[in-house]
Amino acid sequence: MGNSISLAGYTFVVEESKEISGEDLGLLQEKLLQLNWGVQHPASGPMRLKLWVDGDEVVKVDPDIGYVLRLLEKLVEYRTWINAVVNVERACFMDDFGTMAGYSIAAEKIAGVEVPKKADYVRTILCEGGRIVSHLIGLGSFVGVMGVHTPMQWALIAREKFLDAFEVYSGQRIATASIIPGGVRYEPTGKFIEKMISAVDFLEKEFIPRYAEVFIDNPTLKLRSQGIGVVPKEKAVELGLAGPALRASGVASDVRKDYPYAAYGELDFKVVTKEEGDAYARYLVLWEELIESAKIIRQAIEGLPEGEWRTKFPIKVPPGEAYVNVEWARGCFGFHLISDGGTGPYRLKMRAPSFANVWALPEIMKNVKLADVPVIFASLYMCHGDIDR
Amino acid sequence: MLEEIKEKVKAEFGLESKGYDTNILLIECERERLRDLVKFLKNNGFSYPHTVSVVDYTPKGGGFQVNYILENLNEKKFVMVRVNLSSEDLTVPTVSDIFPPLQPHEREAWEMFGVEFIGNPRLEVMLLPDWAEGLFPLRKSYDFEKHRKPSKEKK
Repeated sequence: MGNSISLAGYTFVVEESKEISGEDLGLLQEKLLQLNWGVQHPASGPMRLKLWVDGDEVVKVDPDIGYVLRLLEKLVEYRTWINAVVNVERACFMDDFGTMAGYSIAAEKIAGVEVPKKADYVRTILCEGGRIVSHLIGLGSFVGVMGVHTPMQWALIAREKFLDAFEVYSGQRIATASIIPGGVRYEPTGKFIEKMISAVDFLEKEFIPRYAEVFIDNPTLKLRSQGIGVVPKEKAVELGLAGPALRASGVASDVRKDYPYAAYGELDFKVVTKEEGDAYARYLVLWEELIESAKIIRQAIEGLPEGEWRTKFPIKVPPGEAYVNVEWARGCFGFHLISDGGTGPYRLKMRAPSFANVWALPEIMKNVKLADVPVIFASLYMCHGDIDR
Repeated sequence: MLEEIKEKVKAEFGLESKGYDTNILLIECERERLRDLVKFLKNNGFSYPHTVSVVDYTPKGGGFQVNYILENLNEKKFVMVRVNLSSEDLTVPTVSDIFPPLQPHEREAWEMFGVEFIGNPRLEVMLLPDWAEGLFPLRKSYDFEKHRKPSKEKK
């Protein structure tokens, strides 16, 4: 098959290999084909969906994951309490602040350490920055799977401004290791705040109006994504969807509002929900959360208190355990952390939202058209780093 | 709300429960009654399952601990159901038919710890490579040095 289909990364495997000739040739069309969507598909990332298709219709889906397994939960056990953030943040590179904040809050709960108010505010600024960075890629790649790559480039321009701010803050653009148990690692300098404000300015004044004009109320995009992969409200809870995918189905579940951590309890923001539950609604949830996040950053910078930005975290933490959830960019990330009184975590279980979403795929993708598979996949907004961990 | 559940669980199952955190109730349970308890909690609003978290306490002289974490999305409360297993008999009945989203979580717990969830329709290797099946890497007894990927013989 040297045609364009095989060049695009599809391989066709007939379920049973059998010599077919003459009259039986007609039956071939009625057989189910197994299709490997991924690992080389441009939209799939390092994972594979095994699709059984009947003509153009998907009959059965089986995700094949584990291509980027690093066994972070084990690696954490060999680290000290503070060093462990290096492994925790690598759950996903796009929003590393949320995971670090969750782990740090869990560690502080066990140790009984209270962080200064300034640290809470800086955490909020960083977490929302991480959310914006991650949502920008989510928006860009959602339109990208339909073959339009311009929005991704626009999103990356806006993303660069935030990465600049992170670089000024921590010296690193992506893996910053900046939120640690006991506060934040570095002082939020005036230069960092200035960079952050200019990044938010660019986002609000340049990116949002221009992007909204072209790629939000876009008739072609709507045609392609409205009514695709619909998940009703009850079904979303039953499937265990997480994060933006759950909110797009009308369930107002947001850890920032429900169980406020860091400085979220003192800031004013709304939880974005949509009722439709289709791919387009999930895209809009990302978009509106982006706008909310920019507002939260402005409020947090305005309310940034004076004082210390970290406290001493003990080397040995008393035995105990905690279960802490944070609203990470892709949904609620749970940390079940256990201490045995040693210098590092005894066990850390990470409950990843993308892992929950990927196993909802077989239900959502039943009886959809093959061409809708990438659209649904991208709209669920998953990250392979936290599927596999 | 958690007080209410606490009393109901006490009346229905005779199980003691205690506060784990401000929003979380911890219920310790025998594995024989696990399925009934989980069903009961699901009917009482804890309809959103989070995860199955297994802890290996063998170096401390204990066995394995299986924690089921469930959330009530309306009341914004959690409950954690804890089952203690001895390391000789690592079997626990599945709850994947009550909470279908927990099926892959049980599968992950099986491949990482070797806890067998009886009745789970699909206990296959998911995240690990095929050659690592049965090594149970998240157990405390796992040794990184011993279990390297089999490499080609050097000549």
